[in-house]
Amino acid sequence: MRRRTLIAAFFAIPVALFLCLPAGTSAAAKKPKKPGRAKPVPVNFDTRLPVLGTRLAEFPPGDGKAIADGACLACHSTDMVRQQRLTEKQWTANVTKMVGWGAEVPETKREALIAYLVKNFGPDNDRFEPVVTRPVGR
Amino acid sequence: MSDSRNAESSLALNRRDFLLLAGAATLLSAAGPSPGTVPASRRRMLQVNGYATDAETPLDALTTYITPNDLFFVRHHWNPTYQDVRRWALSVDGEVERPLHLTLADLKQLPRASATCVLQCAGNGRALHKPIVPGVQWKYGAVGNARWTGVRVKELLDRAGLKGTARHLHTFGADKPPVKTPPFHRSIELEKILADGIVAYEMNGEPLMPLHGAPARLVVPGWAGDHWMKWLERLSAQPEPQKGFYMETAYKYPKQPGEPGATFKPEEMTPVTDLFVKSNIAEAPSHARVGSSVTLRGFAFSGAPDVAKVEVSDDGGGNWRSAELGAEHDPYAWRLWSFRYEPKVAGEVTLVARATDSRGGVQPKDAVWNQSGYLYNGWHSAKLEVTA
Repeated sequence: MRRRTLIAAFFAIPVALFLCLPAGTSAAAKKPKKPGRAKPVPVNFDTRLPVLGTRLAEFPPGDGKAIADGACLACHSTDMVRQQRLTEKQWTANVTKMVGWGAEVPETKREALIAYLVKNFGPDNDRFEPVVTRPVGR
Repeated sequence: MSDSRNAESSLALNRRDFLLLAGAATLLSAAGPSPGTVPASRRRMLQVNGYATDAETPLDALTTYITPNDLFFVRHHWNPTYQDVRRWALSVDGEVERPLHLTLADLKQLPRASATCVLQCAGNGRALHKPIVPGVQWKYGAVGNARWTGVRVKELLDRAGLKGTARHLHTFGADKPPVKTPPFHRSIELEKILADGIVAYEMNGEPLMPLHGAPARLVVPGWAGDHWMKWLERLSAQPEPQKGFYMETAYKYPKQPGEPGATFKPEEMTPVTDLFVKSNIAEAPSHARVGSSVTLRGFAFSGAPDVAKVEVSDDGGGNWRSAELGAEHDPYAWRLWSFRYEPKVAGEVTLVARATDSRGGVQPKDAVWNQSGYLYNGWHSAKLEVTA
């Protein structure tokens, strides 16, 4: 009984597969595979999207931009700063932390940097919008 | 698991019949719809840091039991030095009788172990804390569910001959911090890591991607992502916990909740370990008609091994109705859920979801505010505009 079921399945499956094929296709119409050619990866995302990590915005113009460029961009993109919405107290604490970790901020420019950060990335600034990208590694 | 058992019993009956059946099954699975895939229109990421790379998954792409590798969130502290697999080796040292030095080929010779479980960044949801806290402003998608395969940490430490003096496992990745930034060195209590920790070299059946920690990373089921060391290169058994900024200052959570905005002293904090019970709404329509049902879908997880229930309320938490839980679940994995809702009156409705875990932990309305913004788990809501 089991063997009969298997034999039926053997013939039924190819028929079912053929019926599932879109109109205008057939096994005979398929191009023969060229040996050695890698199987193409199907494109299943919007190819107009940028690759992750390639769209890097600049800091907004202003008096402190050059200081921020020099202090912040060695370790991370502007995204990391632009997404913050911090008070003056919080920015002061963060600048102190980052200087301790090696950010290059001359003492004479420290106040100007904090003022620039509070003005552009304070609690009342517009919301940060992340960059929409392709899937990871695409 | 059940599939492989069926296959084995078929083999015992008749090899030819089995091959025929296996072939037919393969053909059928190739011909049928592919359940659990994310539509192409939703396959994208949200870059929150261009470099070092930080990217979260949009909620509407977190609708499958297994999160695809290329849609899995990425968190880097700084630009990593990607490992050359041919030269890479994992050292196991410290309070052990026989220090080990294992290449990837060596690791793959050892007994394989797998776990399907959630990986969530400790800071997922940080952007939802009020008052605002500094740090990567993750919203919902620094989380995913994957099948991790590698070697049990217990297997490695047994082979190395763990000494009785060891209490903590210090973990080291290959990423090197810039200038004077402290290194991201961590440690875990041996009790936890021996119970279910894995040194994983595969993710969802594929070799780990460099962005996800290749050639091998630590998997710590039920615990937050700060414990899941990427680009792993050294494990060291030690009597004391690791020191340094990322153990003594960062990844700490208040022992007792305080007022939002209150700063906690170091002695009032405890390390972030278990994930908190949490449910998110991944899919919800924005419009509905009175008398016509709509479906909400989401996922729920916890630091407890399973989720007991997910409930939805349309009156701000006064009354709750149970959602249907997905059939697929594993210890510390997430449960997918769905909920059919039929609005009775026109107007704007806010639907909220909450999860309860297998230890009785209930997702709170409001997350506990903390100065680093860890482990946000307040109720998640969706607004629905209902027309007559």
